[in-house]
Amino acid sequence: MSSNIVVRVEDLHKRYGNEEILKGVSFTVRQGEALAIIGPSGTGKSTLLRCINRLTEPDRGRIFLEDTEITSPHVDINKIRQQIGFVFQDFNLFAHLTALDNVRLGLMKVKGFSKKEATERAMHELARVGLAEKAHAYPAQLSGGQQQRVSIARALAMDPKVMLFDEPTSALDPELIGEVLQVMQELAEEGMTMIVVTHEMGFARSVCDEVIFMEKGVIVEQGPPEQVFLNPQQPRTRQFLGKISELYGGAR
Amino acid sequence: MSVILSWDTWRLLLAGTVVTVELTASLLAVGLVLGVLVALGQAYGPRPLAALCSSYERFFRAMPILVLLIVLNYGLAFLASTYELLWLRLPAFAVAVLAFGLHSSAYQSQIFRGAIRAIKPGQLLAARALGMTRWQAIRYIVLPQALRLAIPGWSNEYSGVLKDTSFVFAIGVTELTRQGWQIMQRTREVFLIFITVALIYLVLTYLGTWLLEWVERRWGVPGLTGQRQEEYGRVI
Amino acid sequence: MQSIVRWSVVVGVLVVALGIGGLVPQAQTQTFKVCSDISWPPFEWTDAKGQFVGFDLDVMRIIAILKGYKVDIQNLGFDSIIPAVQAGQCDIGASGFTITKERAQVVDFSDPYWESNQSVLIRTDSGLNIITAFKAGNKIGAQRGTTGAQWVEDNVINQGIKVELKLYETYPLAEQDLINKQIHAVVEDEPAAKVAVKASKGVLKIAGIINTEEQFGFLVRKGDPNKLLPRINDGMKEMKKKGIWNNLVEAYFGVDVNLDRVTQCWADLKGYLDKNQPDAYAENMAACMAGESYKKP
Repeated sequence: MSSNIVVRVEDLHKRYGNEEILKGVSFTVRQGEALAIIGPSGTGKSTLLRCINRLTEPDRGRIFLEDTEITSPHVDINKIRQQIGFVFQDFNLFAHLTALDNVRLGLMKVKGFSKKEATERAMHELARVGLAEKAHAYPAQLSGGQQQRVSIARALAMDPKVMLFDEPTSALDPELIGEVLQVMQELAEEGMTMIVVTHEMGFARSVCDEVIFMEKGVIVEQGPPEQVFLNPQQPRTRQFLGKISELYGGAR
Repeated sequence: MSVILSWDTWRLLLAGTVVTVELTASLLAVGLVLGVLVALGQAYGPRPLAALCSSYERFFRAMPILVLLIVLNYGLAFLASTYELLWLRLPAFAVAVLAFGLHSSAYQSQIFRGAIRAIKPGQLLAARALGMTRWQAIRYIVLPQALRLAIPGWSNEYSGVLKDTSFVFAIGVTELTRQGWQIMQRTREVFLIFITVALIYLVLTYLGTWLLEWVERRWGVPGLTGQRQEEYGRVI
Repeated sequence: MQSIVRWSVVVGVLVVALGIGGLVPQAQTQTFKVCSDISWPPFEWTDAKGQFVGFDLDVMRIIAILKGYKVDIQNLGFDSIIPAVQAGQCDIGASGFTITKERAQVVDFSDPYWESNQSVLIRTDSGLNIITAFKAGNKIGAQRGTTGAQWVEDNVINQGIKVELKLYETYPLAEQDLINKQIHAVVEDEPAAKVAVKASKGVLKIAGIINTEEQFGFLVRKGDPNKLLPRINDGMKEMKKKGIWNNLVEAYFGVDVNLDRVTQCWADLKGYLDKNQPDAYAENMAACMAGESYKKP
């Protein structure tokens, strides 16, 4: 098997009650690749992302992180999760901790860093997202965009093999979206492997290497952004992209 | 009727005050530990444990404190004498702390459960996503936030149990109210003694509440614990 | 024949020795818990220094000296004493318990040690007497659950005289209402009424005595497992024979019931009890309380 595949998803199924959310989804992500997952709301994109680090348990199918099958019952999921960065739609910063402590906590309690090591690393990550001077601010004292950047720093500090972004800009005021996308773009350029569920078509098109269009629990179309956006093969994809451009006046 | 209490009287009332404070502090501590465990069991335990914690809470909240005190006191004594378990012969103070602690733990678990509910669940997901275990997430995310959020509720619980402690004389612990009662029997100065006792309770309530407010400020976190009036001015 | 005698002696000595040996642990001084609601002067109260004093307690201490055991006095709510005796937390209840049939079903009583009557307490300035105090329309105070309250029910209200009976948690509260002119009279135990009169400095007085002749007794667990009642009864007889009893009655129930004075006399004289000299204690206690000269131990 090619050693540069970081994430491999095989035939993933998930249902909640009678509703089948994922109906057999398969794809792979290579080292340094940025994959965008787009599609209408409620089609299982976020569920798919949460299955990848088993915040949601899939019903069927297999997921590999490099060569480790993380859907195996014998795997220590806490060890796996350290290697998968996750950025939530509504940031989910720890409300009682400063930005610095938000980033430091996982390093100290999960990775066993000393306080000094953790502080150095955390300050480095905060600087990377442009928030070194906000290290001692509490989440409530930060704007949404700043909070999301701290949450990215928190995930990066763990040295993940892949970063998962679950609609990272959907909860933000429009004028704050840019600063977060900026950080994500820099990450992609530095070669971070990323899976991004997003409605930001401009970002998907200009930053990502691969785009998946998902609807009703299945992958409808997959390909490089130029193909999916400019020359979609499936009528559903065309329909969806047409609606998006109606709403936003073309891909941003 | 003399207007000022003698030094001897003050000394007795202060001795009673010390017992009241020791009792209140100990029972709150016992109630805190049990209450937090019960609340965590209810919120995060597996179903049978959560059910057990809920029945525990309901049972001890339904029990009038005086009944609990007397049942525990004579129940333990009965077991001790029937089965010759000498270690069960607890001093009255310990029985009082236990009875009040169990009672208070039921109320404190409710305060704490409310605080846990006020924590945004996404933070726990974020903690798990970092690779923390369930217990680590509770220890480092839930506990520090819930303990802070619970402080106003505790302030209430403190002033409540402080007054309830006057029941403990039923099993022979001589606290503030009882001291006043005994002095009244000797001096027949009903009004003077009890106005003094009332003032002491007032001071204790005030000091305790003030202390908790100070703790709340000291460990307060912007955006998490209640915004204080100075941040908003008087709103209405 | 000789050898049989000799052997009998040896066996006899052995038996006695073994018997004594077996008795040794029991011969050690036993301690019994005496429980009392120490807030009912002059039978038991806490003095200005917080010490436990009073007639009941002195009787308990002195019998213990006479009968060779020790007592550990515990302060317990009145209503808790009988359950505590039943549960074995207390060995003796000594708290001015009236001997009643109901109580005698759950505990055993000693011989009666006190016969109490009820006093009618009024304000000195009210001009009432023991008859006019119970005029229809008057308000009468009494402590809940006492003989006094029962007496007003049986002999005034149930006789068709429409007085209003007001019940209080304890005598001092009733007395306070009397002083505040909220009620016209209080019916309470005679010794307690004397305490009230003394404390009121002339505001209150006893209008008269009602003979109810209730009897007080000490109580122990049903069946008297520690064989305490014979010792208590015998001890009281011995106290009376030696004159200790009369001196104690004199000290605690003399014409002038002076609770404050007890603090002083007790501090000066309790050394006699520590030295196992109850006679000297009671004699000097009576003298001290009467304001006469007395001798410290």
